[in-house]
Amino acid sequence: MFYKIIQKRKIFLTISGVIILISLVAWIIWGLKLGIDFTGGTIMEIRYPSVKIDNNQLIIDQLNDLKLENLTVQLAGYDGAIMRFKDINEETHQKILTALNKIGAVEEISFQSMGPMIGRELTNKARWSVILATLCILFYVAWSFRKLSKVIKQGESWRYGFGAILALAHDIIVMIGFYALMGHFRHVEFNSLAITAILTVLGYSVNDTIVIYDRIRENILTRGGRNLEEVINLSINETITRSFGTTPITIFAILAVALFGGASTRDFAFAMAIGVTTGAWSSVSIAASFLLFNRKGLK
Amino acid sequence: MSQSNKNWTLFIVIVLITIFCLLVDIPRVPSWVPFSRWFTKQKIHLGLDLQGGTQLIYQTDTSNIPDDQRSAAVEGARDVIERRVNFFGVSEPLIHTAKAANEWKIVVELPGIKNVKDAIKMIGETPILEFREQGAPKQLTSQEKKDRENYNKKAEQRANDILKKALRPDADFAALAKQYSEDDGSKAQGGDLGWFGKDAMIQEFEKAAFALKKGETSKQLVETSFGYHIIKKIDERKTVDGKEEIMASHILIKTQSLEIDLSDPQSQWQYTGLTGKQLKSAQMTFGGDTNEPEVSLEFNEEGTRLFSEITQRNVGKPVAIFLDGVPISVPTVRETITGGKAVISGDFNIKEAKELSQRLSAGALPVAIQLVSQQNIGPSLGRLSVNKSFVAGVIGLLVVMIFMIVFYGFYGVIASIALLIYALINMAIYKLLPVTLTLSAIAGFIISLGMAVDANVLIFERIKDEKRAGKFGETVINDGFRHAWTAIRDSNATTLITCAILYYFGSGLVRGFGLTLGLGVLTSLFTAITVSRNLLKLFNK
Repeated sequence: MFYKIIQKRKIFLTISGVIILISLVAWIIWGLKLGIDFTGGTIMEIRYPSVKIDNNQLIIDQLNDLKLENLTVQLAGYDGAIMRFKDINEETHQKILTALNKIGAVEEISFQSMGPMIGRELTNKARWSVILATLCILFYVAWSFRKLSKVIKQGESWRYGFGAILALAHDIIVMIGFYALMGHFRHVEFNSLAITAILTVLGYSVNDTIVIYDRIRENILTRGGRNLEEVINLSINETITRSFGTTPITIFAILAVALFGGASTRDFAFAMAIGVTTGAWSSVSIAASFLLFNRKGLK
Repeated sequence: MSQSNKNWTLFIVIVLITIFCLLVDIPRVPSWVPFSRWFTKQKIHLGLDLQGGTQLIYQTDTSNIPDDQRSAAVEGARDVIERRVNFFGVSEPLIHTAKAANEWKIVVELPGIKNVKDAIKMIGETPILEFREQGAPKQLTSQEKKDRENYNKKAEQRANDILKKALRPDADFAALAKQYSEDDGSKAQGGDLGWFGKDAMIQEFEKAAFALKKGETSKQLVETSFGYHIIKKIDERKTVDGKEEIMASHILIKTQSLEIDLSDPQSQWQYTGLTGKQLKSAQMTFGGDTNEPEVSLEFNEEGTRLFSEITQRNVGKPVAIFLDGVPISVPTVRETITGGKAVISGDFNIKEAKELSQRLSAGALPVAIQLVSQQNIGPSLGRLSVNKSFVAGVIGLLVVMIFMIVFYGFYGVIASIALLIYALINMAIYKLLPVTLTLSAIAGFIISLGMAVDANVLIFERIKDEKRAGKFGETVINDGFRHAWTAIRDSNATTLITCAILYYFGSGLVRGFGLTLGLGVLTSLFTAITVSRNLLKLFNK
């Protein structure tokens, strides 16, 4: 039994379009809440084993004299706090610890301070790795599907390369939209972990697209591409059990990380779960649909 | 050999590999096992985020060093820092250099250190020693020139934006100056420069300022060698002897000169390659006609050779000894010195000479460094993360195995065994390579689990197809694998490409993730193609 899937591509494209639109709007309106690894700055997490901290003013008052720029203090549990401010040197760091010790014996759980230079470098690196990875994938797919160029027509394999890239762009935009929304509503930061999540989804999304493309390639080579729509639909149907097998399993493995990891790992895992889902979705809604873009069948 | 025998041979190989990995993985191997000591010695390398510790990132300043010698100079700095840190008694410090674009960084990782303050102070106090010779003043490279031009263009834009604000009728000039001006001398006073007459200021500035009416702000930016000025004339008066004087404020946005600043001592002196890197020892001595305290330096072999070459080509000419970027002594070379010894005679008192010789003895840096990033992780947070990640890994694996068995029955059991072997092999690789395990590296491993499952699922789906097509026996398995292979190959290849890029371009966290994910993909290819197939062939009825 075959489901008519690719025939409904207009509906899928509309849904994808709406999701992309929401992501872009969220990105444009709220932007990303960049972490200190991009902007430079300091994050300091402390704990008071013996004092109850129920008001962040207590800490702010102690730090007042040090005139830390852009200071925010966020309470964590009843005994801890996370402070953010501009990047500082070691001397100021020690002064902060001395000041905090006036409230009670303080335990420094983590301290991270970096200049804006590192952030610029990270931004550059992230940009280049996404561009480079995308190009490599484009060329690899075009090369790997080169048989189709011989059988069907010159340059056919590039359509597959670009289809994979479009699906990828879809997924990256959804991820960025996710971080923009989460940044606005839940103060989730866009940091190097977020970059890692996006890059992984990039690999995973192509993975999924290629499984479907691989079937299409095989079916075209054995049955010919006269009725492309039917061949594509057949291929999606043949791979759909695999998609329904792999995607939830991967998401469950990721959710295991989410449940047991710390706060930052949890955001990361959540983003990955979203990415894996949209990766599976875009393989059909974008990548497979694109093969039919502006044509009905092949001669 | 028959096909069946081949299968059994492969099976035995797989079992042996599994046993080997298992022995590497378990923390304590019983002593009756051969080589148990070696197996027990293999340790998991935990990153700072898991075991607690400090990471310091230093930016190096290599602008005065020729391109081809930068790498060596930074490596030299790395060695000096390592010597210092070892001297401090930190267990297993990890110090490495990292290059990005044209900038070199030194990353210092100190596991489990408590007194970070002292470590930073100690590294920061490392003197920078260089020997330099005279040469043609350095020219800006075209890249440097372009960078500076870009900077100036941006400065002009910024200055124009501020000018617009300053020209609004309700503008508060002093507040703008306080906020934006880059003139440290007048910024705090709201840009106020006080009273001044003619010839007190740079010409362009004076012309523009005197042309203004009282209370007026310049309509255009005034450009001088300092940068862009926005000038406001506050008041004017005549002095007793009839000279004009005005009171003015300004906002300065600095620009960078496109010429080398000749007054900077760094620019006249050329890099020779002889630095603190080649220093063997330093001690205080007394010398000269008046028995002044001096610091005597002794070079190592390389330094001795370099020093004799430098003195040979500079006989009759001065050679400068730079300490922390400042020429502290510029002796004139009288003859070639081959003994590998040099003397710094500055205006030292005994205490200074003694301190300097001690600092130099502990190691002197060939390049200037600056702390740009610091990260401390308390040990309690680290421990918590290790336990959590371990539990997460085990649960992830179990969840996947249960799913596979529920979905695919017998095939699921085979896949689960393959996955277990996969996990064991990966663990062993982490220990043997070694791979430093951080939170993100563990995340990479767990994602690769998903990929490993995918390969198995693809194969099983294909086998089902082949069965449906009416095939049976080993042909089903062989054809199933063959048909699944192109998809597995292409999907894993793209993931590997991404991993390679992450590993190559990423730093720290991202890099670890790319490494474990990439290793996981490679291992999963082995377990899915070789292990699963072998087990299926042997045990499938």
